[in-house]
Parts: sequence; C-alpha cells; structure tokens
Amino acid sequence: MKIRIQKSACVGNARCAAVSEALFQLDGDGYIATDSIDVPPGMEQLAKRGARACPERVITIVEDNPE
Amino acid sequence: MTAARRMPWHVDSWEATMTDVAAISQAVPKPDHVPDWAVFDFDMFHDPEYLADPHRRILEMAGKVPAVFWTPRNGGHWMLMSHAANFEASRDPETFSSEIVPRAQIKAMMAALPPGAPRIPQPVPINVDPPEHGQYRVPLQGAFSPKSMLALKDGIRALAAELIEKIKPQGSAEFMAEVAEPLPVQVFLKIFGLPLERQAEYRALVKDHLSAGQNDPREMARRLVKVTAVMRDTVLERKLNPRDDLISLLWQANIGGEPTTIEDMENYCVLLFLAGLDTVMNGMGHGVRHLAVDLDLQRKLRESPKLIAEAAEELLRRYTFTVPPRRVTKDHEFHGVTLKANERVMLFLPAADLDPKEFEGPERYDLDRENKVHIAFGTGPHRCLGSHLARIELQVLYEELLARLPEFRLDPAKPVRYHGGHVVGPDALWLLWDA
Repeated sequence: MKIRIQKSACVGNARCAAVSEALFQLDGDGYIATDSIDVPPGMEQLAKRGARACPERVITIVEDNPE
Repeated sequence: MTAARRMPWHVDSWEATMTDVAAISQAVPKPDHVPDWAVFDFDMFHDPEYLADPHRRILEMAGKVPAVFWTPRNGGHWMLMSHAANFEASRDPETFSSEIVPRAQIKAMMAALPPGAPRIPQPVPINVDPPEHGQYRVPLQGAFSPKSMLALKDGIRALAAELIEKIKPQGSAEFMAEVAEPLPVQVFLKIFGLPLERQAEYRALVKDHLSAGQNDPREMARRLVKVTAVMRDTVLERKLNPRDDLISLLWQANIGGEPTTIEDMENYCVLLFLAGLDTVMNGMGHGVRHLAVDLDLQRKLRESPKLIAEAAEELLRRYTFTVPPRRVTKDHEFHGVTLKANERVMLFLPAADLDPKEFEGPERYDLDRENKVHIAFGTGPHRCLGSHLARIELQVLYEELLARLPEFRLDPAKPVRYHGGHVVGPDALWLLWDA
C-alpha cells in the first residue's frame, strides 16, 4: 500500500499526523514532508484513517492489489 | 440588546448599497427563478431561536430545509446547508467570488469620494479572488505557519494561566469579558507588533466597529479609516525601524513582485486587526459553554489531559461558528436550484458540520468519533489563515481552564445569549465554581 499526497495543497492542519506521527511525518514548518509514503505492513488502517482525516482531502491511498 | 454582528473584516455596507437593504429584517420579494420549495424564512442576524441557541436551531432546520435554500431576509440571499454544497462552493472561487462587491463598483465608489477624503481600506486577502488573492496571502503564510505559531505556545499558556488565576478566587466570572476576549487580543497585538499599552483603545475600536449599525456605508467606511488611523504611527515607524513582528515582515515582503505600499499595509491591517481581535474568542465561548454543561467531559479531560487536543477538534465540529459570504459570478445550476450572477450566498459552515449525511448523529458530541473532519476553518483558497494560531489558543485555554479551575458550570440565573451574523457566538457566558 502507498500513500500519495498532493503536497503543494497541504495547508498544515496536521490532522494526519494526529492519527500517526510515525507514518505522516511533517517538515520543520509543520506541513507534510513528502508526497509519497510506502506503508509498512500492519499500518494500513492508520494510513487509511490518516487519509480520511485530511480536511483538504489531499491524501489518497493506493492499494497494491486493487480488487 | 444584541448587536447585529456582521463579519468584521468584510465591508458589508457596500454589499448593503448594492442590494439596497433598507431594514435588516424586512423580507424582500422572492425572485422568479427561486422555486417555492427552496424558500425558508431565516434571518441569520435576528432569528429568535437562533439567538437563543444557534446550533440547536440548525439541528432543527437540518431535517426540514433543502441543502441550498433562499431566505427573503437581509436583502434576500442563499444559504448552503449541506456539507457537500459548502465544500464545493468554498473550493470554487471562480463561481463563488469573495469579491462581494465587484471590483468595478469599488473603483466607482472610490472615484466618487470627495477630494482629500481618506482612502477606504480594502480587507485583503479575504475579499480578493485568485490569482491576485495568492499575491496577498503568500507574505502572511509563513508568519502564520504551524511552526511560527507553535513558537508562541508557551507565551499563550502563561497568559491564559494568569487570566484564569485572576478569576479563580471569585467563584464566578463572565468568561467572555474576563478570559475569552483578553487572551487572543493580547496574543495578537504581540504578533502584530502593536503596543500592548494601547490595548484598551484597540478593543474599544473593535467593539465599536462590531456593534455599530450596518446600514450606513459612510459610517462603515469611517470606522475602517479609524482602524487604519489608530495603527498608522506604528506602521510607519516599523518601516524605518523593523522589528520581529508582522508589520515589519509585511513591509519587507513584496506583493506580486512589487514592494509593499502604505495602501497595501492599510488593507492588511484592517483585515488582520478585526479578524485577529474578534473571531477566536467566539470559538472559546462555544467550547467553554459546552464544557460547562458536559460535566462528564470535564471529568474525563481532567483525568486525561492528553485527550484535550482531540476534544477541541470535536468542539470545533459540533460548534462551527463562522458564516462567510460569497457572490455568485454566473448563472448556474447548483444542488437543484438556479443561482444567478451577483446573488449572495452564505457558506453556512455551522450547518455543514452538523449535516447528518456527513456526520452520524451530528448532535452528539462524541470524542471517539473517527470522522471529526470539520470545515470550521473553511476549505479552499480562503481557508482561515489564523487556524494554526486558533487551534493552539483553544487547546491551551481548555488545558489551563481544566487544570486550574474545579468543576465549572453555567450560572442558571444568567442564561447565555448569542449574537448571530457572520461570526456566531455568546455575548456573555456566566460561569460558577466552588472557590
């Protein structure tokens, strides 16, 4: 599973990081640090919850094996 | 008497001249393109049930009124109830303009001013559309970034502690005047770089602006000019002697490639001064009122202060309190109705965050609800610039209040009264506790 983030549209709500700081790392200014995250096994639920938590809806989940 | 508040950073007197509003709560005739079923008579400034308990009123309306409805009050305008409608309109500035009065009309008004009349400031970037909007917003973005705001947290906490310790021995307080107002005001004056010793003067000016009548455009312009006048010395002084504050930073910025002018500074100042000195205190009022009636929540948060950040989010969702206006730029179909160019639309964000289609059991304050994804700060290009500051202020206030005061409750002898309009909040909030 991958997380894709429209980084330029991040406004720094940090709601994703409130779900999982380990997964959604912020840069020094408080915005999302990256535009793509490989989700480690076992963290899929956190990834999905973090994506849903974004008020600007800039986070999408890309499944490895879409059914 | 409840002041008819309008969004303080928005020159709505021009809006009034445009739509020729004679008296605020007089009904205007329904335009032909508005179907009967889309009409709901709701005065966002004066509806008595709304002023008694705004969010309860919205919950009652939620089942009854269409996702987008038209009200004949206040000159006649649309209101967006559903989360989907608010979300879409907020993110479509080409169709839903923040230039409430078209630019050409503002120019004409300016040109009609008598010679030597002071220039009327234009609140930026809130009343400007993209792409120009971005030119004005970019210089502020860094100053209000999550990181810049986090650096203020300790200072905010110290101030909150001081204000709360002051009222603690009293056993009762009017929370709005004694805490909710001075806390964000002092924080903001510091960020802005305005002298704290003139605090009373600034607050009087904001109060005057917010409680004054709305129907005389010249009066409104005069008040905006007063706001720039009271800051002028400081603004000019910082140009020569920059400090570590927002005024100095804006002087050093450039706007669309050009150096900041005194006109730009005045435009920024009216927005920041009025927005910074009023909005968040209303959010504090809603949140603290809820805590005062939800004693279980107080207990839970005192036991686990770590939950307060999440609790503050759900308070924002449950009690969203701003209602920003937009102007329709072209005739189009929207959620089952036809909107016509130059009609006014209110983004009824408090209703969006209580939409049962978006939030299950929206009336329930639920700390464990996964979906707390509110749009209390709006969404899209005009999303609240001060949200990172507001979040810190709200969280720190709740933390200090719960840590320093014993269980507090509403004074049953003094029921809460609200003001409506563009920023909805309690006028007075009397709390009691065992001192």
